[in-house]
Amino acid sequence: MATSLPPDPAAPDAVRAAGPEDDLLDPGFLETLERLSLVSRRRLRGGQRGERRSLLRGRGIEFADHRAYEPGDDYRYIDWNIASRLDRLFVKLFSEEEDLNVTILVDVSASMAAGTPSKLGLAKHLAAAIGYIGLVNLDRVGVTAFTSAPGPRLSRLRGRARAADLLRFLGGLRPSGETDLGRSLRRLLTDAKRRGLLVLLSDLLDPRGYAEGLRLAHHHRFQTFLIHILAEEELAPQLGGDLRLIDVETRRAVEVTVDAEALRSYAAARDAFFREIERFCFRYGIDYLRTVSSTAPDTLVLQYLRQAGLLR
Amino acid sequence: MTFDTPASLWGLLAIPLLVVLYLLRVRRRPQTVSSILLWQRSAPTPAGSRPQRWIERSLLLLLQILIAAALVVGLARPAVVGRAPMGGDLLLVLDASLSMRARDGAPTRFDQARAEALDMVAHLRRGQRAGVVLATPRPLLLAPFTRDSSRLRAALGAASPWDTAGDVAGAVFFAIAQKLGPDGRIVVWTDAARGPLPALPRVVYRRLGTSDDNVGITRFRVLRDPGGTEALLRVQNFGSRDRQVPLEVRRGATPIYRTTLSLAAGVSRVVTFPVAGAGVLRARLAVRDALPEDDEAVAILDPAPLPSTLLVSPGNPYITKVLALLPVARAAETRSVDPSAWAGFGVVILDRVATGPLPPGNYLLIGTVPPNLPISASGLVPRPGIATWDRADPVLRFVTFDDVRVDRSLALAPEDGRVLAEGQVPILWAYEGQGVRVLLLGFALGDSDLPLHVAFPVLMANSLAWLGGGGSEATPGESVQVPAAGADEAVLTTPEGGRLGVRAINGVFVLPPFTHTGLYRLAGAAGDRWFAVGPGSTAAGMIRPGEVPASEISRAQGRGARVSEALLTRISLWPWLLLAAMAAALGEWALATRRPGGDA
Repeated sequence: MATSLPPDPAAPDAVRAAGPEDDLLDPGFLETLERLSLVSRRRLRGGQRGERRSLLRGRGIEFADHRAYEPGDDYRYIDWNIASRLDRLFVKLFSEEEDLNVTILVDVSASMAAGTPSKLGLAKHLAAAIGYIGLVNLDRVGVTAFTSAPGPRLSRLRGRARAADLLRFLGGLRPSGETDLGRSLRRLLTDAKRRGLLVLLSDLLDPRGYAEGLRLAHHHRFQTFLIHILAEEELAPQLGGDLRLIDVETRRAVEVTVDAEALRSYAAARDAFFREIERFCFRYGIDYLRTVSSTAPDTLVLQYLRQAGLLR
Repeated sequence: MTFDTPASLWGLLAIPLLVVLYLLRVRRRPQTVSSILLWQRSAPTPAGSRPQRWIERSLLLLLQILIAAALVVGLARPAVVGRAPMGGDLLLVLDASLSMRARDGAPTRFDQARAEALDMVAHLRRGQRAGVVLATPRPLLLAPFTRDSSRLRAALGAASPWDTAGDVAGAVFFAIAQKLGPDGRIVVWTDAARGPLPALPRVVYRRLGTSDDNVGITRFRVLRDPGGTEALLRVQNFGSRDRQVPLEVRRGATPIYRTTLSLAAGVSRVVTFPVAGAGVLRARLAVRDALPEDDEAVAILDPAPLPSTLLVSPGNPYITKVLALLPVARAAETRSVDPSAWAGFGVVILDRVATGPLPPGNYLLIGTVPPNLPISASGLVPRPGIATWDRADPVLRFVTFDDVRVDRSLALAPEDGRVLAEGQVPILWAYEGQGVRVLLLGFALGDSDLPLHVAFPVLMANSLAWLGGGGSEATPGESVQVPAAGADEAVLTTPEGGRLGVRAINGVFVLPPFTHTGLYRLAGAAGDRWFAVGPGSTAAGMIRPGEVPASEISRAQGRGARVSEALLTRISLWPWLLLAAMAAALGEWALATRRPGGDA
């Protein structure tokens, strides 16, 4: 379901006055975010002129290159100076200033409620920050909450004035349901008209796996930035004894006796899981950042996301 | 192990309940987590089903069961017997019956008993007292309580079983009477072959023997009657299988009787055959059994077993006739009272003749009281009657006075000796002492109808036999007194060839009890005298081990436990069980809490 909220006057104060979701970004942090911009390693074409160069060469104002004239080319772009010197026809190519299509995918499955603060809380903070940075840089920002399928969606936001919509939307997200990253991405990418930057905020605790969806994003030539959020208790469970562990999403259960050896085994499985994700992301050119929900959002944004190359 | 309150052991039924509860209890606590993905990946062998985990669980259950069992068993107040702490008096009683010579011990039952007793002596604590009692027909205290173990070993080394049945129960009561100190114990080695034994708190029985294979001669006598002399021999199969038993009887080196007896299990047979002449008869069974000692027996064929007799009487046809009938060595008669002539006779019969003090010798007095005896007579008592008499005395054996009438009798007043029969006054009196052996009949034979009764010749034969020192036949355990006939000492030679000096006491040789069957010879100045000691009782040949009462120790140790364990004392186990339960509880707690969120 797509949700499109009405525009709101673009101002930090307006954002701050948007409601309870104003906790997501405080004014000082917003000012900091305004000095940042999203980095796209690829030239990703947006639908409107933006504040970044496009790989589409042609009608922009910044010269990019020459190429041999071909029948059908616009005569206006023939470089007559070269033609007079070389007696051959070349057309001038210009890089066009385009906006960046930023899609933020937030996992709102029930498992995202884990952690203190919750994984979803951190995901919302990050989504707000990234989205805000995109808006102030006139990028086209869309946010989609997903569980087993794409859920509430906020799309085609552009400009600082839509920041309140973004924050309101994010503030209204609640964890529930079961994760199906593959299905959600397939639906989302099928509907996507333009490629762009895809920021995925998820715990990746999907029994069906994460590979299919991310591989699909790669095939659709999205620049994917995966932020893997985990809770402390998922990294180091504080459990013990004879337990019947019930999955909060699937309600499936596994009986384990948690002792030191079981915890060691869990840690080994966890590390193997991480290595597996890292290898996958490296293979498919996916930027990957793993964090825990207790990490401060501003630290994460200002330090780790910049180091990871998502922001500059 | 024993239990003071065995009913508490019903509490062990709680253990199955514990297991059931363990199986039924909710084992796993539900816990909602964000995802089970990593748990699934981490548990190719889920922790709960790992073998060591299962073992750990079982160990917990096992510890819980151990705790419950230790507590329940502890409530039952168990106790075991330990060796070291025991320190009370110890009285060692050895059954000296013939059956203890059975060769199913090491090598005999008695040898085994002695070895075990010596072992116990070797393990006595410093300062611990012990004594030794031999269960013969009359209990013998071989060694009173002493701390000298060498004396105990010597007593045990010298002990040997007799060829008769010992009175084990009597020995036990005799031992009880020896004033055991606190924690004192009586240890009895016996085969319990002859009837029940008393179950007493401080008595520990050690049963010996396994076999019942025995065929033995239980009787061998020479019988005389006017029709001739014949030997009577009884053979009994005490075993549980039928036997063919060859029997041979020799006089000297000459076989005089030979037969083969078919004896079913538990059956006895009596054979009789005529014998003649004089000499020693030896009967022998050609069998192989566990007790060869009773396969042989001896009897003396003596044509005149009663002593030479002098009748001093104004005339008594009854006595004269009886002496003619009885097998006396020599019989003479006189009317004159001349003590100097009496020395050549074994017995002098003074019938209604006044006499002075009696010289040493053996006398049958009829209606007269010499002055040097501890008895007096004060007139006559008419019709005194004979109301009671000692049927067990050898003088009155097979004698009955039921219909005997006495018109008058001396009013005897004995000061010593023993009254054998009496009515209103003593009628028959016996005395031994001052060098004389006397039997006094209070009435003249003419004043009664006794000579007309069959009791009269029997009484005369018994009297002469007793006065002459008894017959030549005896049984093991029997003690014989033989008139010394003026001699001071004599030598007793046993069947095994042992020689024992015997001194006369008051003119009488008091021989020690015969311990074995066979031929004994008493050699003195008055000549040799032979005793054929034959089988004492049928029970002596019974060698099948019987049951002994279960004592505390034998219950604790189980049947067949060595009696040396009688040195052990009772040790309560419940404090140890309580400690074990506490230790198991601690272990269970440690094991359970070692695991995060354990069950404890």
